[in-house]
Amino acid sequence: MAGRTLWKGTISFGAVDVPVKLHAAVREERISFHLLHRRDRVKLRQQMVCAYEKAPVPPEEQARGFEWEEGKFLLVDPADIERTEPEESRTIEVHQFVKTGQIDPVFLDRLYYLEPEIPLKGYIALLGAMREMDVAGICTWTMRKRSYFGALQAGGKILRLNALRHADEVISAESLDLPDIPLAEKELKIGGDLIAQLTAPFAPQKFENEHQKKLQDLIDKKARGERIAILRPRRLKPTAPDKLLQALEASLKKVA
Amino acid sequence: MPKPSSNQGKEPALQVIWTGTISFSLVAIPVQLVRAVEPGRVSFRMLHSRDYSPLVRRMICPKEEKIVPPDEIIRGYEIGPGKYILVTDEELESVSPERSRTIEIVEFIDMKDVDPIYYDHPYYLVPAKGGEKSYRLLVEVLRRTNKAGLAKFVLGEREYLVAVRSMAAALSLITLHYSEETLSDEELAPGEETIKAEETARMKKIISGMAADFDPDPYADERRKKILKLLKKLAKERGLVEAPAAEEEDQEGPADLVAVLEESMRRAKKSR
Repeated sequence: MAGRTLWKGTISFGAVDVPVKLHAAVREERISFHLLHRRDRVKLRQQMVCAYEKAPVPPEEQARGFEWEEGKFLLVDPADIERTEPEESRTIEVHQFVKTGQIDPVFLDRLYYLEPEIPLKGYIALLGAMREMDVAGICTWTMRKRSYFGALQAGGKILRLNALRHADEVISAESLDLPDIPLAEKELKIGGDLIAQLTAPFAPQKFENEHQKKLQDLIDKKARGERIAILRPRRLKPTAPDKLLQALEASLKKVA
Repeated sequence: MPKPSSNQGKEPALQVIWTGTISFSLVAIPVQLVRAVEPGRVSFRMLHSRDYSPLVRRMICPKEEKIVPPDEIIRGYEIGPGKYILVTDEELESVSPERSRTIEIVEFIDMKDVDPIYYDHPYYLVPAKGGEKSYRLLVEVLRRTNKAGLAKFVLGEREYLVAVRSMAAALSLITLHYSEETLSDEELAPGEETIKAEETARMKKIISGMAADFDPDPYADERRKKILKLLKKLAKERGLVEAPAAEEEDQEGPADLVAVLEESMRRAKKSR
């Protein structure tokens, strides 16, 4: 079951207008814990605290600021921010179409399902055309006073809207400054063969979130007053650089 | 493939979220998990209106109205009003001891087979001391084959299904949603209505006319420019305020990717 309608809007480009409704595509369920004070088991509450006084700050003493330089702020009130906020609109404006493979997954944020609204013709034509061309529509829209940047995509049966992270929010891999270490062609060859041997089709259904069940078991055991055996986390011994080729060869032998 | 823009030459501080080993078959590589996303260049902070000190999120004991230090905090599972089962970090780690310090790649997949609906949050793995060479090998082999390793690992209360692939000279780790978390789109589909072939052809023509290469930079720049313009004007009008220097405090708390993320956002802004 898809979630309820989150928002209604119209995909728009050129002379094309396609009305749609947004739905959530993912729902996470997990066991949640409260944080307690160890001493008296009082449930703790999260609150904003003054970093200088180390004391809780009531909402009427909270302000917003933009950090101009370290430790120096420009005070900004919500009315100021509203001046930069986009006008409320119901338009998902498509600016360009790109090959879907060009969007690195690091940019992909939350995904929404798009339900068609009458008339269906435009929706069906757009879905079919995008699927055949294997393209995504780079678009912007405003939802709940926030502007979004995203990619309109053709899913299996429906259109989807994938919110994208902004370029200045993604840390580049280059900035990690990782060393370039020379590798022997033989190491690369065996590494490649090994990966080929271990490759399977992507079948996410195979992977269950068993952890939730195990966590529930732990809680049940404790509720019955049973003792929990403390197991030390498994730690693997790192492969030494001069033993890498040997480890790769032994791995390949094991799987072949 | 366009690369994410570097952040105006400013080196982001690497805050380590998790330390452990990534393994495939008999090869084990010591690594650290670091963030791949930080808040945009223009973001606001909460301040105390009396002394202009930044505010931080902390756990407060409602009885004493005081900050509770991390070593006095314990997780509790609520079984009834005010009744809790207490769970320690050690007990939590004992739930999956084989996965709490090891990301074991169980198989490799083609990245192009992954439906984008599964992607959740990206991180990087960086090599720890002694692991540089085998790390480099995994990066290079994944790059050449365009494959990703699938693994599960446990951090705090959660077990994450992750895909590990290469991105430039780094291993990029992306947490994936479990398939049971994805919702069905069956009942949203437009049904069997058929349309004329020329309508799809007309649509394809419009799309072709708007074809481009993916470049996220102009969108980010435009957003930043708009806000900065207003902020510059306001700064001229009313000037800046100065925050008092605060003492650093110890922040070792229960591990959770979300909590760590919030913390790293705080630091990212501080180090700007």
